[in-house]
Amino acid sequence: MRVLNKENAAKFLEELGSQYKVVVPLQSGGELTFGDPDLHHQIIDYKGITHYSPKGYFFPESEALFTFEISGQGKTETISIKEHVDETKRIIWGIRPCDLNAIKVLDAIFFSDPVDPYYQARRMNTLLFALNCNEAGKTCFCNSVNAGPFAHEGFDLGFTDLGDEFLVEIGSEAGKKLVEEHSAFFSDASNEQEEKAKALEEKSKRSFASSLDVEKLKAKLPDAFSSPLWDEQVTKCKICGTCSFVCPTCHCFNIEDLKRSKKVVQRMRYWDSCQLSGFTQMAGHNSRPNQAERWRQKILDKFLYLPSTYGGLIGCVGCGRCVDFCQADLKIVDVLGRVADE
Amino acid sequence: MNNNIYTPQLARIKSARDEADGIKSFTLEFEDEKLRESFSHRPGQFIELTVFGVGEAPISITSSPADKGFLEISVVNVGEVTAALHLKKEGELVGLRGPYGNGFPFDDVKGRDILFVAGGIGLAPLRPLINQMFADRDSFRKMTILYGARTPGLLCFREDLTAWAAQKDSTVLLTVDAPDEGWQGNVGVVTSLLPKVEIDAGRTTAFVCGPPIMIHFVIHDLVTRGFAEDDIITSMERRMECGLGKCGHCSIGTAEVCADGPVFSYGQLKELKESI
Repeated sequence: MRVLNKENAAKFLEELGSQYKVVVPLQSGGELTFGDPDLHHQIIDYKGITHYSPKGYFFPESEALFTFEISGQGKTETISIKEHVDETKRIIWGIRPCDLNAIKVLDAIFFSDPVDPYYQARRMNTLLFALNCNEAGKTCFCNSVNAGPFAHEGFDLGFTDLGDEFLVEIGSEAGKKLVEEHSAFFSDASNEQEEKAKALEEKSKRSFASSLDVEKLKAKLPDAFSSPLWDEQVTKCKICGTCSFVCPTCHCFNIEDLKRSKKVVQRMRYWDSCQLSGFTQMAGHNSRPNQAERWRQKILDKFLYLPSTYGGLIGCVGCGRCVDFCQADLKIVDVLGRVADE
Repeated sequence: MNNNIYTPQLARIKSARDEADGIKSFTLEFEDEKLRESFSHRPGQFIELTVFGVGEAPISITSSPADKGFLEISVVNVGEVTAALHLKKEGELVGLRGPYGNGFPFDDVKGRDILFVAGGIGLAPLRPLINQMFADRDSFRKMTILYGARTPGLLCFREDLTAWAAQKDSTVLLTVDAPDEGWQGNVGVVTSLLPKVEIDAGRTTAFVCGPPIMIHFVIHDLVTRGFAEDDIITSMERRMECGLGKCGHCSIGTAEVCADGPVFSYGQLKELKESI
C-alpha cells in the first residue's frame, strides 16, 4: 500500500485536473455536495456524507437523450435524430463506501442486457476514488448491509484518512497507472500506517448507532407482503418522493419529450419515484393506488426483489439519507426491524 | 444501424383509418428499407411508439409476423401520446422501437382447442395470434372467439371477425353492454357468452385480454369451469416508460412486465402477488 500526504493529495488532484474533470465534495448553498471544484476550495477530507450521492454523474437527475429536428411536413417530413452520450473523462474523489456499493447496484441494472448506453458511457469514463469512513453518522447502517464503513474493492483508488496523510489502496489497473504516473507524490506505507488504518476500521465499525439484522429480515420478507405494518407505517408519509431522490440506488426514470421550439424536440430522461402516485398511473387505471402499496414496493424491491434478481445484491447500502431527509421522520431501519421481529 | 436501445426508428404513416369509436388503426412503414425486411415480431409483442414532441407510449402490434414490410397498430385516444397520434395524417412520420416483450405461446399450444376472450381494444394484441393460428389452421383444433365491448360502435376488427367466423370449426360470438337500435346480438358482459359455447377445459388453452376487471372475472369463470391455471394466458397492462426492464414503472415483484411479460399464465400471475 501507498501513502499520500494531504498536501500532495491536493496537488495530485490538481494535476489530474489537466486530463480529467475532477469532482469533489464541496460546500454549496449550505449543503455538502459533489461538484466541479474551484481547485483552491476543494475539500480533501470531510466528515459525514454528501447531501446527494455521486449517482448523478452516471445517471443524472435530468438528461437529454436525443435531439430531434423536424423539417418539411406531410409526405416530405424528415426528422434528424442526434444522440447525446456524455464521454467526459471524470474522476470522482471522496466517494463513501456506501455510495461506492450503490454504484454496484446501478451497474447491475444498467449493464444488464440490454446495456444502457448513456449510463455505460459515463461509467466507463469515470474513475472512482473512495474515501473510507472513520466514524459512522447518526443514521448510517452500512455495516448491517455489508456496504461499509470501509471499502477494500470496487474503486480505482481507495483512501483512508490517517490524520496528516491518506493510506492508499490500489483497486484497478487504471488506479495503479495513475499512481505510477504521479509516483513523486506517493511513498510506501509503513507497517505502522497499515496497522493504524486497520485500527481505524475496527473503531469505525463500533461507532454505529443504527443497525439491522439482515439475515432475520431476509427470512421474514417473503411472507411480509400482507403484513398490516405497511399501512401502519405509512400514515405519516407526506408522499414527497424525497427518499427516492436522495437514494444512491434508486434508478427509476421517466422519458419525456420537451419542445425547445416548434421544430426542435429534446427527449429527456428524469428521475422518478415509486412513492409518487403518478408512477403507476395509466390512462384510467392505477395499478398501485395507495401509499401503503407504494411504500411496501420500495422496501420489498430493495430487500427482496432486487436481491432475488441480481444474485443476492441488496438494493440498500445503509447510507441513511432517506432517514435524514424524510419530512415525516420515517425510519427505514425501524420499519425493517419491526418486520424482522414480527 | 444505430445500436442505442432508446433510439426511435422513423416510420411513415401509410394509412390512418377509423377502427371504432375513438379508436384508429394505422399502417406504418419503416423509412429504412433494410429494417422493413429485418424487423420481425411475435404476436403479443409491443412497440414503444413516438409522436415526436409529445413522447412515447407502449402499443401492441396488430399485424401478423407474416405481414412483411409494414406494421399495423390500433390505438384508443386515451392519453397524451395517443391523442396526438390520432391527429397524425397519412404521410407523416412517427418513431418506433421494439419489438418488446415475450409474446404469446404458439408452438406450445398446437394440437389444442383455443378459446379467446377479449374486451374492447383487448382484441388488438390477440389479432395477430388469431390470424397466425388460422394461417396454420391444421395445427389447432376448435377455435372459439368471444368478444365484447361496451357499445356496438366500440367493436374493433369487424372484417376480421367476419373472416374468422367463416373459417372451418370456428365460432365467433359478440356481445355488448349497451346495445343500440340496430344491435341484434347478445347483451351483457363477455362472461355471459361462456355458457353459450361448448368448452372442454382439459384440452383448451384460453387467451384472455381486456380491462383488468374483465380479466379478473373471466379468469374466475374459467377456473370454475375446470381450466388449469397454466392454460389461462393473459397480457398485463402496466405503465411503462422504457420497455427494456430498467425504468421500474411496470415492476410486479421480481417481474418487469415489459421484459418478462406482458404475457403471463394465470399460474405465473398468482406467484406475482401484486398482479391481479
